[in-house]
Amino acid sequence: MSARLRIFMTGVGGQGTLTATTLLARAALSAGLPVTSGEIHGMAQRGGVVESTLLIGYKSPKIGHGEADILLGFEPLETLRALPYLKPGGLVLSSTENMPPLSVATGKETAPDLESIKAKAAASASRALYLPCRSLGLEAGAVQSGNIALLGALCALGALPFGNDVLAATIRATMKPKVAEVNLRALELGAAYAAHVG
Amino acid sequence: MASPLISGAPGETHLLLGNEAIVRGAVEAGIQFISCYPGTPSSEVPDTFFRLASEGGYTFEYSVNEKVALEVGGGATLAGALTLVTMKHVGVNVAADPLFTLAYTGTPGGFVLLSADDPGCHSSQNEQDNRIYARIAGLPCLEPATAQEAKDMTKAALGLSRQLGTPVLLRTTTRVNHLRGPVELGVAEKLPAPVGFQKNPSRFVPIPAFARPMHLRLMDILEQARELANTSPLNTISGSGQVGVVASGISRAYLADALLEADLTGTVKVLELGFTHPLPEALLETFMDGLTTLLVLEELEPVMETELRALAQKRGLTLTILGKTPGPMPRFGEFNVEMVAQALRGVLGLPAKAACACAPQALPNRPPNLCAGCPHRATYVAVRKVYGDSAVYSSDIGCYTLGILPPLKAADFLLCMGSSISAGCGAAKAAGQDVVAFIGDSTFFHSGITGLVNAVFNQHNLLVCILDNRTTAMTGHQPNPGVDKTTIGDNPVRVDIERLVAGLGIEHIRKVNPLNQKATLKAIEELKGLTGVRVLIAEEPCPLFARRAYGQKRTQVAYVAADCAQAAQDGSCGDCLNTLACPAFYVDNGKMAIDPILCSGCMLCLQICKNIKARKGDA
Repeated sequence: MSARLRIFMTGVGGQGTLTATTLLARAALSAGLPVTSGEIHGMAQRGGVVESTLLIGYKSPKIGHGEADILLGFEPLETLRALPYLKPGGLVLSSTENMPPLSVATGKETAPDLESIKAKAAASASRALYLPCRSLGLEAGAVQSGNIALLGALCALGALPFGNDVLAATIRATMKPKVAEVNLRALELGAAYAAHVG
Repeated sequence: MASPLISGAPGETHLLLGNEAIVRGAVEAGIQFISCYPGTPSSEVPDTFFRLASEGGYTFEYSVNEKVALEVGGGATLAGALTLVTMKHVGVNVAADPLFTLAYTGTPGGFVLLSADDPGCHSSQNEQDNRIYARIAGLPCLEPATAQEAKDMTKAALGLSRQLGTPVLLRTTTRVNHLRGPVELGVAEKLPAPVGFQKNPSRFVPIPAFARPMHLRLMDILEQARELANTSPLNTISGSGQVGVVASGISRAYLADALLEADLTGTVKVLELGFTHPLPEALLETFMDGLTTLLVLEELEPVMETELRALAQKRGLTLTILGKTPGPMPRFGEFNVEMVAQALRGVLGLPAKAACACAPQALPNRPPNLCAGCPHRATYVAVRKVYGDSAVYSSDIGCYTLGILPPLKAADFLLCMGSSISAGCGAAKAAGQDVVAFIGDSTFFHSGITGLVNAVFNQHNLLVCILDNRTTAMTGHQPNPGVDKTTIGDNPVRVDIERLVAGLGIEHIRKVNPLNQKATLKAIEELKGLTGVRVLIAEEPCPLFARRAYGQKRTQVAYVAADCAQAAQDGSCGDCLNTLACPAFYVDNGKMAIDPILCSGCMLCLQICKNIKARKGDA
């Protein structure tokens, strides 16, 4: 496998963005791919923006503006904020369910609505898929597993050089049985959603 | 389940965080002693050693600050133990005094200092370049760029230190500490037990008469290290041509990707330096021979660039050396692939690429915030109610620095770890202003105590609020001397902050649970009416830590019982929103609401507004 790939992930602190990143990186390694991922810890855990990266075939752990083949947004406002990282013609997968930042929650600012986020994404992406991640996570058994649903959809679109079976095997190998069960369900729900609307 | 970091077999490949790879490298070198003070981006190194201590066969401690960590580790290497001491870049400032002397005495057991630098200030107050410490203290320096190298170079640094008997600096940056990549494990060495300290005063006591020959010894060792750097496999040359690039640290990764994407791999001559100090002059002379242009890639200060200019001048070389003075690379912040690609296009005379048109747009920001249920919020709300903007708020380093944001606005200035009390004293004395200093429990033990002793001795006038949340929350819940629980069990020896403060002779001390607003307000009012050094101890565990270490369950959640219209619309109320800024609060169709998933059940808001009530909430 010589194809190079850059995936930019973004979400809100506490959402499990880094867990999803590590899972994807482990899956890529088990598929024999030269993977590097990057993340920033610290202040971001306290409800701030959490960005992470996964790169195949590169040495750097960082993604610059206009470089990401795929943008995974675990929160729609963060999807929009991270759009500059997307390569023109790239792929966007985003959750539709928002977590308003404090200024929005308190009515001091307004966030763009989902339709305008979709319109902005459509202007630079060749393809975009939107999932109700939080709901899919709840359906699977835990809110946090919504991220895994997004990964399931990503795999189902054939956007990765490995399939959902590799992700499923990685979940089984690295998570406690009960947690794995929930995440495997989320993976399937995400894949089914992508097959249905994609 | 045994961790592969301790018991993984040679040849196995694991996906490791850069910081985990450092742990594995130390284990492979046969590490015997680790001391640290946690700090992003270094923290996962000590935390991993702490978590695996029962499997590891090494001695580990969280010291109270970086100076103490370096001294404890210094003693261990003097007694023959192979030692690793870890900290973030600004921690090295705290530890600099013993570090410089340790370079003179030498390190019989082997000693590596991990300095995790933070270009771009992801989680730090500055972006100082600690490669300069390698120059001023006289330390050989290794700089990895990948997870595999983080493992390999840690092992190599410990080996080098043991071989030369001198401290070695392992310098990383945030991107290296927090990247993940495949790491092929090597053989874990088993060293003989430390031989113990061997008495030799002229070697180990730097009184002036002995310090002078110690300095000569250090200079001689650095020349030996330079010879090793000249032939080190950690420094590699590739490609060919009249344009050369010298790169170190994570810049090497950006360079590799920039060459790859522009299809230029092999068309420029590249020297990647992993063993960066002392500068391998012979290797560089060979490398520079025949070059017309040399681009130097190093984040932050032009350290190698300056040294290379001096070397070229010394050898009469006329090549053009480019870096940061004047350009094209910046002297601040991080590099990235495109920045390096742009510089390459410049030196190669290739056309510049149009800048990416994807400008970020203005969107509501999402700054980090104190968590729902954070006891710091409760203390800040009470202090602000009593003092408002009439006091100057001297802040310190920890989660509580997030109190800077409105509506809490509880951080007016900040210098460094432990500065809140001492800098607060000076600010109060200069013009007679009321000063309230905020300091967390771990930071108080780190270096707040000395400031408090000074405040008593020099009869200063300020209110000190010790925000004791029973853990070191910011960096990931590490223990400190005051805690009764750690993430892996009980702390058998607890230093009691109240008794310690009383032992200094401070008369006016109040201890409260800040989630009890009435009692907290009363204590602050009383202390405000007094003069001299006054201490409020606000004790309540961090709710994230309480769930993890105390198994604390949420028994109730808050909800808005009345049909509250919020202040933004009619200005009548909104006190809960406007004083607390709790992340669980939101406005739903013009009405106040509390997210039952985010609410931690602290019940602070019930004490602010009678329209908020409690109901049973599950765990």
